Amino acid sequence: MKRLAGAALLCLLASMAEAHRAPNSFVRLDIAAHAVRAQMLVPQSELAYALPGEPGPRIFADYLLQHVAIEDADGARWKIEVRSVRSTRYSDHDYIVAELVITPPAGVRVGDFVLVDDAVTHEVRSHVVIITQRGKEDRLLGQLQYPARRLTVGRQ
Amino acid sequence: MTTRTMANAFLGLVFFASGAAHAADAPCAAATGGRGEVRAVIAATEALQKALSPAQLSALARPIARESAIRWSNLPVGIVPRAGLRLGDLDATQSAAAHRVAEAALSACGLKMLDEIRAADDLLMAVDERKIGWSGGNYYLSVLGKPSAKTPWMLQFGGHHIAYNFTFNGARAGATPLFFGTEPIRFSVDGVTHEPLAVQSTAMANLAGALSAHPQARLSGTFTDVVKGVVVIPAPGKMPTGGTDTGFPQTYPTGTEDRGILYGALGPDTQARVRAALESYASLPGDAITRSLVAAYEAPAALAQTYVGYAGTPDLSTKGTYVRIDGPRIWMEFVVQPAVANPSQLHYHALWRDKTADYGAEIGK
Repeated sequence: MKRLAGAALLCLLASMAEAHRAPNSFVRLDIAAHAVRAQMLVPQSELAYALPGEPGPRIFADYLLQHVAIEDADGARWKIEVRSVRSTRYSDHDYIVAELVITPPAGVRVGDFVLVDDAVTHEVRSHVVIITQRGKEDRLLGQLQYPARRLTVGRQ
Repeated sequence: MTTRTMANAFLGLVFFASGAAHAADAPCAAATGGRGEVRAVIAATEALQKALSPAQLSALARPIARESAIRWSNLPVGIVPRAGLRLGDLDATQSAAAHRVAEAALSACGLKMLDEIRAADDLLMAVDERKIGWSGGNYYLSVLGKPSAKTPWMLQFGGHHIAYNFTFNGARAGATPLFFGTEPIRFSVDGVTHEPLAVQSTAMANLAGALSAHPQARLSGTFTDVVKGVVVIPAPGKMPTGGTDTGFPQTYPTGTEDRGILYGALGPDTQARVRAALESYASLPGDAITRSLVAAYEAPAALAQTYVGYAGTPDLSTKGTYVRIDGPRIWMEFVVQPAVANPSQLHYHALWRDKTADYGAEIGK
């Protein structure tokens, strides 16, 4: 019962935290030797300003490919694949969750790279993209806000 | 004394002085309030300290360090807990002493705003029963470092919709970051109408109205909040973290693109509106704190490099309306958002930052 009450409180506080501040996007990176997996959570309320309507998974995936990329130090873009798109509700907001796999050219190991993302920020000036590295506790790598759309990520 | 009556008692101090039937009409520059002189603020702070218990003294005193300084927010305290001395916990004597600290540090405008915003939070308790900390009692006072007439220290008043962060004896004069907002925009207590941001919203609407004649003043994009405010960090499955000024030091637009129109391109009347808007924010702290800042912002060379822009509806009647002053040092924003406790209405957020003197230039990364 105590745990349930705690969970209910957590849900309430989480919803209020985001409800009072327009929700941010969230990119969680899983950096491996030969690929970067990116989980992108994009709040639909903010996305609607950048991509009006109710985009289905295919349209959203195509949209992401226009606005998200990883580049190496020389500016060469890696192959990017949108593996899945789904909806979820978190913190009292509807989000679209996309799972991406980004791979460097064959035989190249993942080193330092630049994450490019302006899926929402090219339109919403107050929007912030929070980028973390996944782990037992996600590690904050940085944030992007218009006009910034590029974050250098060092492999650790 | 309950929390609610505590905040109303603060209001009583103000309106007894102003004698106004409509608080928004009161000439706040002429009523109570101090000048932000460091010695007066120290004296008021020391008087408060004498009235506190050891535990309260411990709560009031915090180190002058980044972690303490950036711990302000525009979120209710149930979401982002504040540190410091909780005003709602004070007895009548202590409350009066705390108010005298505010009187010493703030102008009449700034004092009135603090009192009215706390009263607005009291009203939200009745509108929104979620237990997330709406309350005029949930405002805090902190002293960072040791009050001194010579060495740096900070005074913070903070709660849901206000964050006063004043730095004394800093490397630069420190009045910022200064966040303020209100929900509801206008309300009545005991037959008296209050509009905490009346001066600032009127000044910004006047400015936006004049700017609407200049197409180059229109900013591109959409604004759903202030741009350089606090950042909430979502963590799926967990409580979001952050909600404080973790983004400090901020980066700001450079170049000439999408910053609005230069001050020098405006006519005298609109230029006067820029200065009036600027001064409506800068007049919240006592003028000893802000005098040099206003002088720096209004220096001809600074104004020549100052942009003003807006988005949305100049009369502030729709969500997403946004007005900004962006100069070599000055960064002032005003945004109209949907209300939270009562979503059918609107509410305001506003932020003043100094690009080179937030926290008195005493706090680093």
